[in-house]
Amino acid sequence: MENILEIKDLCKTYDNFELKKVSFNLPKGMIMGFIGENGAGKTTTIKAILNIIQSYRGEIKIFGLDNRKDEKKIKEDIGVVLDDMFFPEILTPNDINSTLKGVYQNWDTKMFYDYLKEFSLLPNKQIKTFSKGMRKKLEIITALSHHPKLLILDEPTSGLDPVARAEVMEIFQNFIEKDDCSILLSSHITTDLEHMADYITFINHGEVILSKTTNELLEQYGIVKCGEEEFQKIDKKDYLKYRKSKYEYEVLVENKKDFKAKYDIAVIDKITLDDLMVLMIKGEE
Amino acid sequence: MIGFIKKDLAMIKSNFKLLGILMIIYTVMGFLGEMDISFILPFMSVMIMISTFSYDNYNKWDAYSISLPDGRRNSVRAKYVATILMTFAVSLITILLSFMISYVNTKTINYEEILASMFGTLFGTLLVLTVMYPIIYKLGVEKARIGIFLIVFGLIIIGGFLLPYLDLSFIIKSLDFLEDYLILILIIIAIIMVYLSYKISEKIFRKKEF
Repeated sequence: MENILEIKDLCKTYDNFELKKVSFNLPKGMIMGFIGENGAGKTTTIKAILNIIQSYRGEIKIFGLDNRKDEKKIKEDIGVVLDDMFFPEILTPNDINSTLKGVYQNWDTKMFYDYLKEFSLLPNKQIKTFSKGMRKKLEIITALSHHPKLLILDEPTSGLDPVARAEVMEIFQNFIEKDDCSILLSSHITTDLEHMADYITFINHGEVILSKTTNELLEQYGIVKCGEEEFQKIDKKDYLKYRKSKYEYEVLVENKKDFKAKYDIAVIDKITLDDLMVLMIKGEE
Repeated sequence: MIGFIKKDLAMIKSNFKLLGILMIIYTVMGFLGEMDISFILPFMSVMIMISTFSYDNYNKWDAYSISLPDGRRNSVRAKYVATILMTFAVSLITILLSFMISYVNTKTINYEEILASMFGTLFGTLLVLTVMYPIIYKLGVEKARIGIFLIVFGLIIIGGFLLPYLDLSFIIKSLDFLEDYLILILIIIAIIMVYLSYKISEKIFRKKEF
């Protein structure tokens, strides 16, 4: 399958944080959820993809092209929503339209105004008069209105109430149905991703700890719930992490089926991405 | 780049009213024969453009602009072009107002004096731009204000100490000698100044990480 985004051995060092050989691929037409707790390295990775940070090592290819050598060409086909980075708030959607008409070759003014109408955003109002949800919608439709082949979305739903969040996710869903577009969607709100993402890449402390299809992850991984006696019988190599709560052990296993065949433990729950994150980050080995 | 220029000019449209009021004040004062404040208008246009850096900074526009095609280069280039366009447009209007005031007051238009005065103002305005912009790109607009204050303050102090000991007659003699070419020389100096300033700002911004 053709990859729209390929990241290989991406490293970046700060005084108090390091990206350690981050590698993953996003196949064409797929949605990848990029998850991890705050400060795990999601935004740094996205900034490297977009060359907002530059002094990194490793290789990043987008549409098969080098992201530094062919930067201008690549960015014609990328739409971005970045956490807290946008047009100055004294501008209006009309100003955004006239600006981006002169920036993107494929800017679609009609599409932009249709979206504004659909989401009841007034074209001549300053961005600062919009609520947080309205502002986010504006950021998203700005990212969509030049028919990008790749959307890079950094925390597009963070800070939104559930209704606004659902509306925002609906915009993506509709867009994907219309255009053959790939999406890299970073979020720590994992419930948004469970139904939408084809792939999940999980980053922790600057390191990718897994990158799999969502189905594989949700179907294969499981949480074994057992008492201390049963837990002691489990071989260390048969689980990834565990947590001890007041009454039981929660044990993260990579393959429910294999585990069930080996151990006689009745309760193996399906995993959610939230469970996975909590156990991978907070669990013991 | 045109899109980026439009964005910078759109940001200052709310200040057009202020410039309009200043132009009216200038015209009225001119008719009344009061002090000539024509120099304020081009300077104001640069100061208004400098204020756009604060808005950019507040919404992290610089980082966002890099995600756009050729954003790293066009963001800086557009800021210079927009400022120069704005300054020239305001200077042109001021010159026309000055012609009108001169004609109403004296029934003649003192072209030479008006143009020389506006040319000097324009040169000073471009000097502010060439010094300020690289400092703003390097330090950010807030720190740059303090930096500029320190530079100006330092120059005044140093100048104050050195001036009594300097023999400046050779400069005055040279100016006499160069009088015929002065405007041409100043234009060349202004172009070189702006170009170098742009190159420095571009280099600073090219290496900047957000």
